[in-house]
Amino acid sequence: MKVSRATGALGITCLATSIWIATAAAQDDSLLPQVRAWLADITAPPIDRGIRDLDAPRPPRHEGAIQVAGDGTNGEPFIRGSIIVKFRPGTTPDAQRAMLAQVDGSTTRPLSDASFDIVSIDAAADPETAARRLDAQPDVEYAQARYRVYPAFVPNDPLYARQWNYPAIDMERAWDINQGAAPSVIVAVLDTGVAFRSGLMRFNARAVGGLPALGLVSVPFAAAPDLGGADRFVAPRDFIWDDVNPVDLDGHGTHVSGIIGQLTNNGVGVAGMAFNVRIMPVKVIASDWDFIFNSPLQGTDDVVARGIRYAVNNGAQVLNISIGRTGAAAPVVQEAVAYAVSRGAFVAAAAGNDFESGNRVERLAEFAPQIDGMVAVGATGRDRRRAFYSNTGSYVELVAPGGNSRVGGTEGAILQQTFDFDLVETYLNGPARYQPPRFDSFAYEFLQGTSMATPHVAGFAALLMQQGITSPAAIEAVMKRYATDLGPAGRDNEYGYGLINPRASLRGLGLAK
Amino acid sequence: MLRFRNPRMPSERDSKAMCFRLCGSVALWLGGVAVAAITASPAAAQTEFMLRGFGDIGSTTFTAKKSFDAVLGSDSGLVFGGGVEAVLPQRVFVNVRASRFRGVGQRVFLFNGEQFDLGIPATITVTPVELTGGYRFDVGWRVVPYGGAGLGWHRYEEISRFANADENIDERFTGYHIVGGAEFRLARWIAAAAEAQWATVHDALGGDSNSVSHEFNESDLGGVTFRLKVVIGR
Repeated sequence: MKVSRATGALGITCLATSIWIATAAAQDDSLLPQVRAWLADITAPPIDRGIRDLDAPRPPRHEGAIQVAGDGTNGEPFIRGSIIVKFRPGTTPDAQRAMLAQVDGSTTRPLSDASFDIVSIDAAADPETAARRLDAQPDVEYAQARYRVYPAFVPNDPLYARQWNYPAIDMERAWDINQGAAPSVIVAVLDTGVAFRSGLMRFNARAVGGLPALGLVSVPFAAAPDLGGADRFVAPRDFIWDDVNPVDLDGHGTHVSGIIGQLTNNGVGVAGMAFNVRIMPVKVIASDWDFIFNSPLQGTDDVVARGIRYAVNNGAQVLNISIGRTGAAAPVVQEAVAYAVSRGAFVAAAAGNDFESGNRVERLAEFAPQIDGMVAVGATGRDRRRAFYSNTGSYVELVAPGGNSRVGGTEGAILQQTFDFDLVETYLNGPARYQPPRFDSFAYEFLQGTSMATPHVAGFAALLMQQGITSPAAIEAVMKRYATDLGPAGRDNEYGYGLINPRASLRGLGLAK
Repeated sequence: MLRFRNPRMPSERDSKAMCFRLCGSVALWLGGVAVAAITASPAAAQTEFMLRGFGDIGSTTFTAKKSFDAVLGSDSGLVFGGGVEAVLPQRVFVNVRASRFRGVGQRVFLFNGEQFDLGIPATITVTPVELTGGYRFDVGWRVVPYGGAGLGWHRYEEISRFANADENIDERFTGYHIVGGAEFRLARWIAAAAEAQWATVHDALGGDSNSVSHEFNESDLGGVTFRLKVVIGR
């Protein structure tokens, strides 16, 4: 009886304690245990949610704030419904008809300037097979499918046609010269992390603002399918959670990584600038979910500075910093960038999105003119004009496509693969529909900002580095020299030296031209 | 100047090795010519009109040394040529000669005294057609020294990979040259000569700001050429 009374008392005490902890935890974060545990590596395929081109334009991010039409080719390199055939001289029309009957073909009208015929075949038939059958005939000199010819390297990624940003900087001809750099070039993405591995993680979601605590939640992650496999990533590091799992809890870093190195010409999704580089995910800023999960650190100057030093000390040759802040100067970051450049790394930093909010100086980019080997990057839209949000100032050195939804709507932004934001930003749905996020569901999203412009420059730097320009200062010099001057003649505070011109830069100097 | 070579392209060492091989060949040829000259009969005093053909091989060192060195890895290269020559009884000669230099290098970027090779092949071809007039001296020995001067029309071609048609060059320039040498009669119908030439072709290079010749402020397409000739005819 004593035992049962004691057991009952203990149970009541435990219950009371649990209620007290839950109540207190909702009011005091310090009492809530931090939970971040990698539960399992899972092999379930990531969820592809397609392109989000009907979404309203997402505004560029400011400080404090924490989309397929095919190209008609069906992914085939040739046209269906007809093939090219040349009969040997002297082949009679009857003999020609007999041969063509084997492929249910018939000649079309005679062509000018042609020694061959175009033969119509069934649109459902395989042109290559039909051509092979005719080619085997003794009276046929040759037969072939009607392969499409391209003026330059045009990626076969089905959404490439929606990526206006690459033709805007003549990337197709630049890719003729250098197709996506090489795995020997490592680009560090200092951001919210990258969707680089699959698994299940457990977090403790505290109450934040008007949102209730979700308690212990299991969150699925997947590697972004259009970024590549595990061998694509090198030396990942998370300075927010202080471990080696810099998974993206936001989508920003994954989108930025896509601009730099989205798998290209793989017949899937979209293209990236330097699609053969390896990516080093370095998480240096916390997202909303990091905050909800009560991460031990947030993205402060010291964390960013440590991330920069970590990246170069672990082999990164190009650093992308699509983050920033206003306020007072950031000497600790400036010192870290100077260190990075002194170690042979090129640094691209976003010039900021605050133009319409007072055009406050972007402190992580303002010192770029003082460091040869670091470039502050502004943004342009598809009209090649400065985007409405892009900061201006003496520190703006170059501009690149960052998107402008005021010119072209949603599709005026930059399309890359990242998370399906509907399943990430559940905190925007109100308490009733608030639920744990999913980081295993991907979509092609249009984002805009100098955050999107900067990785164009980082990818461009990777191409130059692989082409043979190994000095950060020389990379900056070649970028400025060949930039397409926009705005007033010469350097100006809106466009700096102008819009990047990768093709001309990669070609360099000839002896006389 | 620091040079960052792209491993895909031939190295400067390869160019130097080729140069050493050429020098060796030239030395051997000179030796042969000297032996032939010693054993041959003295040159006969010229009393008649002569029409001869000749072929030659030589090495040109370009005046735009830095520019050629930057792109081709060397400021000099082999030149092959040939032409016809008329020698008048008064020992005056006139010849027309066509020659060609071709070098394959790569496009570069220059910055603060450093050169970065970009691995994009560039082929430079210089094809001069030169008209030279001069005088052959009678020194009463088996050697006939001569000297002259003339006018040249120089075709300059620069073709690089990935270039649009308007990014390649095919232009013609006029230049001037002086030449001097000595001819050795090897046999009745064959002679050999060693010759040196200095040529200048002003304002042929450096006009385009996107060029190393502009960076180095070098505009002359001329150079100094040493060549060996084989002359067929009396």
